[in-house]
Amino acid sequence: MLQLIDLHKTFDQPTGRITVLGGIDFHLEAGQSAALLGESGSGKSTLLHLAAGLDHPDHGDIKINGQSTRHHTEADWAEQRRNHISLVFQQFHLIPTLTVLDNVRLQARLCGRMDPDYEHQLLNRLGLATLTHRLPHQLSGGQQQRVAIARALLHRPPLVLADEPTGNLDEHSSESVMALFVDLVREAGCTLLMVTHSAAMAAYLDQRWRLHDGTLSREGEVA
Amino acid sequence: MSGLASLRRLMWVGLTLLSHYRRHPAQTAFLIIGLVTGVGIWSAVQIINSHARASYAEADQVLGAQASHWVRASDGGGVDPDAYIQLRRAGFTQLYPVIETRVATDAGEPLWLIATDLLALPRSEGSIDASGAGWLAMIQPPYQTWYPPELAESLGVAPGDTLTLSDGRTLPPAVPQSQQQQGRRLFMDIGAALDVLDRDRFSYLAAAGLDADTARELEAALPSGLRLEPNRQRLDLNQLTESLHTNLTAMSLLSFAVGLFIVFNAVRYALLSRSPTFHTLRELGASGRQLSFAILLETGVWSLIGTGLGLAVGFGLSQVLLPPLAATLQSLYGAVVGADILLRPSTWLLAWGITLAGLVFALAMPLWQESRQSVRAARDLSDRWVRDRTARRRLAWVGLILALAAGAVYSQMTTVLVGFVVLGLALFAAAFCLPVVLGAVLGWTLRALPEKAWQLRWAFSDGGAQLPTLRIAMMALLLALTANLGVETLVGSFRTALTDWLDQRLAADLYLQRDSLTREELNLPADADWLAASHQRVGLDIRWRGRPTEVRGLEPEAPDSRALPLADSSNELSLWYVWDTDNPVILANEQVRHLAGVESGQTITLSTGLGDRSFEIVGFVHDYGNPYYQFYLPRGEVERLWPGRAEPQGLALWLSDRPDAEASAEAALLAAGAQAGDWIRQAQIKTVSLRIFDRTFAITAAMNGLTLGVAGLALLTALLAIHQQRLPDYAHWRSLGVRYREMGRVLTLPLAVIVLLTWLASMPLGALLSWLLIHDLNVLAFGWTMALDWDWAPAIRLGLLTAGVVAAALAVSLWRLHRQLPEALRRLGGQS
Repeated sequence: MLQLIDLHKTFDQPTGRITVLGGIDFHLEAGQSAALLGESGSGKSTLLHLAAGLDHPDHGDIKINGQSTRHHTEADWAEQRRNHISLVFQQFHLIPTLTVLDNVRLQARLCGRMDPDYEHQLLNRLGLATLTHRLPHQLSGGQQQRVAIARALLHRPPLVLADEPTGNLDEHSSESVMALFVDLVREAGCTLLMVTHSAAMAAYLDQRWRLHDGTLSREGEVA
Repeated sequence: MSGLASLRRLMWVGLTLLSHYRRHPAQTAFLIIGLVTGVGIWSAVQIINSHARASYAEADQVLGAQASHWVRASDGGGVDPDAYIQLRRAGFTQLYPVIETRVATDAGEPLWLIATDLLALPRSEGSIDASGAGWLAMIQPPYQTWYPPELAESLGVAPGDTLTLSDGRTLPPAVPQSQQQQGRRLFMDIGAALDVLDRDRFSYLAAAGLDADTARELEAALPSGLRLEPNRQRLDLNQLTESLHTNLTAMSLLSFAVGLFIVFNAVRYALLSRSPTFHTLRELGASGRQLSFAILLETGVWSLIGTGLGLAVGFGLSQVLLPPLAATLQSLYGAVVGADILLRPSTWLLAWGITLAGLVFALAMPLWQESRQSVRAARDLSDRWVRDRTARRRLAWVGLILALAAGAVYSQMTTVLVGFVVLGLALFAAAFCLPVVLGAVLGWTLRALPEKAWQLRWAFSDGGAQLPTLRIAMMALLLALTANLGVETLVGSFRTALTDWLDQRLAADLYLQRDSLTREELNLPADADWLAASHQRVGLDIRWRGRPTEVRGLEPEAPDSRALPLADSSNELSLWYVWDTDNPVILANEQVRHLAGVESGQTITLSTGLGDRSFEIVGFVHDYGNPYYQFYLPRGEVERLWPGRAEPQGLALWLSDRPDAEASAEAALLAAGAQAGDWIRQAQIKTVSLRIFDRTFAITAAMNGLTLGVAGLALLTALLAIHQQRLPDYAHWRSLGVRYREMGRVLTLPLAVIVLLTWLASMPLGALLSWLLIHDLNVLAFGWTMALDWDWAPAIRLGLLTAGVVAAALAVSLWRLHRQLPEALRRLGGQS
C-alpha cells in the first residue's frame, strides 16, 4: 500500500545542513498498521509529511498502491489526499464554523463517498450521535479528536496517516480514543501509519519502527 | 536603584513586543500604510485649507495689508475721480483708488482684474514694488498688464500679447510678474484701467492704516453719495469660502477615520498575533501595567513615525490637490490661491496629536479585550468568531446611541458645522450597526440553505469566521461608499440644477456681450422677421446688509422674465410684472431668503441714487451658485432709481423659426455696427459654464477617489490579515484534498456577499446623506435650494468600482496565500 524508497531529506539551518532522513526504505502492506517511534526532532513528522505529499523529498520515491508519486504536482497530491489518504493530527483541525456533523462529513463529501449507514455506525461508536449539531468549541478535547477520527474514516480511505493523534489528550482519554481509533481503522480495512513517541500507543499497532539519526529500523512485530 | 530596575524591565518588555514587527514586515507595512494614508489625506487638506486662508490674506495685500476701510458710493456706482482728488487735497493721503472687476476672455474664461495707482499706494503697504524701472512703462501708454505666470500659461498668453476680452476690448501688452500679492488676478495701472475699460469711476477707494479718529474725520469730509466702510474683503472671502473648507475638512476627517480603521485593523491584528508573546510575558511575571505601558510607548513611537511620513505624503498630496481647489475657489468665489505651500509648525503638532489620539483609540479596545481575557482563552483563537458576536452587538448599541444623538442634534441644526456633526453621527451610526446586520444576514442565509448545498453552507459559515477581521474594513468601505454616493448625488444634483438654471436663464439664442452694444444703440428693428423677442438687461453692484449685492433690471415682458425660476412667491407677484410705483415690490434670489432671513411679504430697504427706498419682497428666484445677494426690478425702475449708474448687462435675442434666422441676425448685427465675436451662441455659454462647473468639482472627485482608495487599502489589509491569521486552517483544508478553486469559492463567496450587502446598505445611506447635504447643509452654507436628483448610474459605477477594488485586493491576498501555503502545509503537524 505504502512504499518509501531511498528517501532523503535535509534542512538548511543557521548551523549548517542537517540530514533528517538519510535513505529511508519502508513498505507497509494494505490493511496493516505501523507505529513510527523516535525522539523529538528525529524526523518522524517529516517522514509522515512526505508520505502525505505535504512536503517533498530531496531524493527517492513514494509509491501509493504501487503508483509512483515522483512526478506528482501539488494538485496531484491534493487529489491523492482527497481520495486515498486521510490525515489525523494532534491539533484536531476541525472547521470551527461547521457543526460536528458537517465536519464529520466534509472529506466524504469532497470525494463523493457518503455512506449514511456507516456514518450512523461511526457516530454511535465514537459517542458523537448526540453531539452532531454542536460546534467544535462546544466539545471537549477528546470529543474533538473523535470528530477528527470520524472525518478521517467516513469515506474509508485506503491509507490513514496519523501524527500523534492523542498527543493533546490526557492519559485516560488517550487510551480509550486510541483503542477505538485502531479498531475502527481495522474494521474499515484501512492501512495506518502513525507517528508517536509513546511506546504504549505504539503497542496498539501491528508494526513498530524507530527513526534514529536519519535511518529507520524495525523493532519487531506485535502479535 | 529599584526605579532603574523597573525601567530596565519595562525596556525588556517593550523590546520583546517590538521585536514582533522585525519578524513580520508585512504587519509593519500595514500599520505604516494605515497611518500614512490617514494622516496624509487629513494633513493634505489641512495644509491646503490653511494655505487658502493665508492666500485670502495675501490677496488683501494688493489693496493694502492695512486697508482698514473702504470709501464706496452709497448707490454702488463707484467713486468719481474728482471726489478722490478732493479728499487727497484735504490731507487724506492714506487713500488710494482701486478698480476691481470681473472680465471674461473672448473664450468666456472669467478673470479678475485689479488696478490701482502705484504712486498713491502708501509706502507702508510694501506690497507692490514701485521702485523698479518697470513701473514707468506700466503707467504710460501703451501700458502693461501684469499676469501671474501660471495664469498667463493657462491662458496661453506670451509676454507682449494683448488679450481680447469678451466685449471686444483688448488689454495692454502682457508682462509676466511674480508679485505674490497679485494672486491669480490681472494687475494694471488705474489710469490704464479707466482708459481700457472705458470707465469714469473707481470701484472704491482704499484707506490704509486709518485710526478711529482719522476715520471719523474722513467720514465727515466725504462728499454726499459716498460712505466709509470697514474693509470686508477678507471677511467676505472667509464667509463665502467657509462652507467649502468645512466640507473639505469633513471629507479629510472621513479619510482619516477610514485610515484609522486600517490602523485599527493592523494594531488589532498585531496584538492578536502577539497574543502568545503577550501572555508568555504575563506568565513570566510582567505585570498588566508594564505591558500596557510598553504598548502605549510603542504607540508613541508609531505616532511619531506616522506623523512624519504622513505629513511628507500629505505635503506631496497637497501639491496635487491644490490646482483643483484653486480652480474651485476661483470659479465659485473669484478667490485666488497662490502656489507656494508652506508646512506650518501648528500643522505638525496637530497632526501628531490627532495621530496619537487615533492610535490610542485603535489600541484601547483590543487592549481592553486582551486584559479581560484569561490567558487560556486568549491563547485559543478557535472560538474567536463566536466571541465576536458579543462585540458586534456592543457595536450595534453604540450605533443606535449615535443614531439617536444624530436625531437629537438634527433638530437643533443651525450652522454648517453642526450639520456636519449630524452627518458624521449618522454615518458612524450606520457603520457601527453594519457588522451586526452582516452577521445576521449570513446567519439567516446559512439556516435557510438546504443540507445538500453543503459547499454553500460551508462558505456562508466561513463568512462568520471572516467577519471579525473583515468588519472594520467593511465599516470603512461603507463610510467611503456612502460619502462617494452622497457627494456624487450632490454634484449630480448641482449639475442638473445648473443645466435647468442655464436653460431658464439662457433661453435666448444669441447674447451680445459687448456692454456698449445695447438694443437702443444697435437700433434693431422690432419688426425684423428674424427676431422673435429681445431682452436688454441692466444692473449695478451695491452692498446690502454688509455683503456684496447685485441689482438687476429686467424687462418684465421678455420671455425669460416671464419664466423666472421661482422658488417661492406671494400672491402679489403680479405687481412685479405690472409695476405700480405706489406699491414698490421686488424679487430676490433665494440667498436673500436663506442667508439674510427675509421672507416673502417682508419689506427691505435699498440705498438708491434717490435715497433709501423700501420694497416688498414678492418672490424668490432660484439662483444657482451665486455667492451674492441679488435683487430684481423692472429695468425702467433701476434706471430711474440709480440714474446713470445702471450699466448694460448684455442683450439677449430670441430668433424666429425662419430657417435663415441666424444668418439674418448675424447680417443685421454686423450692419448695425457689431463685430464678429461680439455675440455668443447659447450653446457656447452652456459649454463654458459646464466646463467651469466640472472644474469646480474636480476637488470633490479627487477626494472621492482618495476615500475609496483608502477603503480599498483597508480591505486589502483586512484580507491579508484574515488569510495570514487563518493560514493553518487553509493548510489543513488543503491537507484534506480541497482544491484551490473550491477553497477560492469558500473564501470569495462570503466576501462577495458581505461586500454586496455593504454596497446595498450604502445606497439608502448615500441617499440620506445627499438629502441632508442638499436640503439642509446646502441651504445653510450657500443659501439656495435645488431638487435631489437621484441617479442609479453613480451607484452602479461605484458598485463596479468596488467590485474591481475587492477583486484586486482579493487577488493580491490569494496570490500571497498561494505562495505561503506550501510552507504552512509543512508546518501543519509541527516538527518531530
